[in-house]
Amino acid sequence: MISLAQRDIAHSLGKFLTTSAGIGMLLGVVLIMIGVYRGLVDDANILLKDTQAKLWIVQQDTLGPFAENSRLHEDVKYQIKAFEGIKDVSALTFQNLQLYRNNQPIRVFAMGYDIHSFYTPHLLIEGRPILANHFEMIVDQKTGFKLHDEIVIGRDVFNVVGITKDAVSSSGDLMVYFSLPDAQKLQFLSSNEQIRNDRARGIKTTDTTTINAIIATVEAGADLKTIGQEIERWKHVKVFTQEEQSSLLTKNLIERSAKQIGMFTVILLLVASVIISLIIYTMTMGKIKEIAILKLIGASNGEIIKMIVQQSVLLGILSFIAGMLFSHSLMDLFPKRTILISTDAFSLLVIVIIVSILGSLVGVRSALKIDPASAIGG
Amino acid sequence: MPSSHQSVIKVEQLAKTYGKGENAVMAIKECSFEIFKGETVALLGPSGSGKTTLITMIGCITEPTQGKLYLDGELIFDQHWRINDTRKLRRQKIGFIFQSHNLIPFLNVEENITLVPLMNNTNPKEATLKAKELLEYLGVENKLAAMPSQLSGGQSQRVAIARSLANNPKIILADEPTAALDAERALSVMRLLKKLATEQDVAILVVTHDERMIPLFDRIIRVNDGYVSEEAKS
Ligand SMILES: Nc1ncnc2c1ncn2[C@@H]1O[C@H](COP(=O)(O)OP(=O)(O)OP(=O)(O)O)[C@@H](O)[C@H]1O
Ligand SMILES: [Mg+2]
Repeated sequence: MISLAQRDIAHSLGKFLTTSAGIGMLLGVVLIMIGVYRGLVDDANILLKDTQAKLWIVQQDTLGPFAENSRLHEDVKYQIKAFEGIKDVSALTFQNLQLYRNNQPIRVFAMGYDIHSFYTPHLLIEGRPILANHFEMIVDQKTGFKLHDEIVIGRDVFNVVGITKDAVSSSGDLMVYFSLPDAQKLQFLSSNEQIRNDRARGIKTTDTTTINAIIATVEAGADLKTIGQEIERWKHVKVFTQEEQSSLLTKNLIERSAKQIGMFTVILLLVASVIISLIIYTMTMGKIKEIAILKLIGASNGEIIKMIVQQSVLLGILSFIAGMLFSHSLMDLFPKRTILISTDAFSLLVIVIIVSILGSLVGVRSALKIDPASAIGG
Repeated sequence: MPSSHQSVIKVEQLAKTYGKGENAVMAIKECSFEIFKGETVALLGPSGSGKTTLITMIGCITEPTQGKLYLDGELIFDQHWRINDTRKLRRQKIGFIFQSHNLIPFLNVEENITLVPLMNNTNPKEATLKAKELLEYLGVENKLAAMPSQLSGGQSQRVAIARSLANNPKIILADEPTAALDAERALSVMRLLKKLATEQDVAILVVTHDERMIPLFDRIIRVNDGYVSEEAKS
């Protein structure tokens, strides 16, 4: 049997492709929105994953450094390390920082870590981890700094020894890394004038023994819950597993923004569906005369329905492909990470095909109402 | 003269009223006649007399209001349709030719002709062969791969005739098939239909305005104000 759908498309190929490209752009935007959503969720967890820690020890009655201020005394880490089942610990500090490159301010999130512990930035793609106790730092490549660049912070000059890729904080700020002592010093970085004022008031200006969290690895086979309870019982701290920190992070911090983007994506998808349906309906109505002739010469409803549905589905698939090309070519232009996951793309494809079929049903309904007599005369 | 007396089209007191109440139009008031195998019959009448209505009722496109319709000996309509699938009947037994050629613009000439046979599950090779044969017969064999938009009016009309013949119909219904053609072409198309009727035993009913065609027909049925009358050929 001759494929009516295919012949009709071939006959007006330009129009069909243009329409697909148009819907494709819309679907591309949907894909990008999903990508932005994925990026947001993924970015939030990057830092956490990068630590490869099993336990997080934070200030008592707090939810950890990603949710609120958590302060611990640095020497707690030695006590934690002494617990049964704990393999290694690393003290961490976190703070927002402003760097300047060519006099342009760059907002970054600084992390200080024990350079002699198990932790090392795994996202390093160039250079080396921090080896010296002072004046070395690692920056993310998106800051624009290069290896061996010298960065002035306060009264100190730091040497860039390593570059990371895609290292961002849970709120999407670019990461930089310092040794723990340097980071502790930076937490209390003040101008000369302020230091003088503070000293005059009798305020101690260099309390550099505070940290924000301790991460720990455990011995093989150790039970995280038991160790955590043990630590909490003896030390006045709060212990989370890596998984708990991760779910706290997603639940408390990014849920609202994720929902915001999710809502937007759903609305966009609805709009795309309505537009696809309308286009398919118009496409069918543009063939009233041909459908009347087909009925007149004896084509069954099956043939006519097949023509319309096949065309709609093909339109949907082509639009989807156009959407993929469109979104992939634009994705890298976005300042924050957008992630296109193949399962998301596949789900969208399934939705598009369903919408195409549903959309074509409206067209089919009207096509079946066309009177074959309307092909006669005129 | 009819080659045999086998009835192919038979209408009995067929009537059609469009619309209801005040707006009702009685297009066909009462029609009874019979057309036999191999006959070529002209349907004449002034504009608005109900010719198209009559021919579309015979083609099962317009539902009659009253009366009976038999095609190829089978009762097709009596108060209501007596067959389930009028389109199947059309694609198997009836060929249509219209005033405008009504070819499907997105199919080429060959596909336009083979579409109906293929829907009837004819072997594709056979269908193509038949299409070539018909086009040759109609003198447009070089247009097999052309699109309808690339044909002249006369060529389109001949392709449309080929299409109406492709399913080996028992009945050909034509509504002013020559209106779009010049006198010369019109006459040759009519001669062709006449030849088909005699050679292939098809019953042909042609609506026409053109008095010059009359000598070519076996019989003439006149439609006037919704009634039909047989007219003796002068
Ligand atoms: N679908 C319709 N609805 C209402 N009235 C109709 C319809 N089709 C035809 N009529 C009316 O029925 C009458 C017969 O129309 P018909 O088309 O059969 O005439 P005709 O003999 O074919 O005319 P012409 O020679 O102009 O083609 C006319 O009065 C017309 O207005
Ligand atoms: Mg008419």
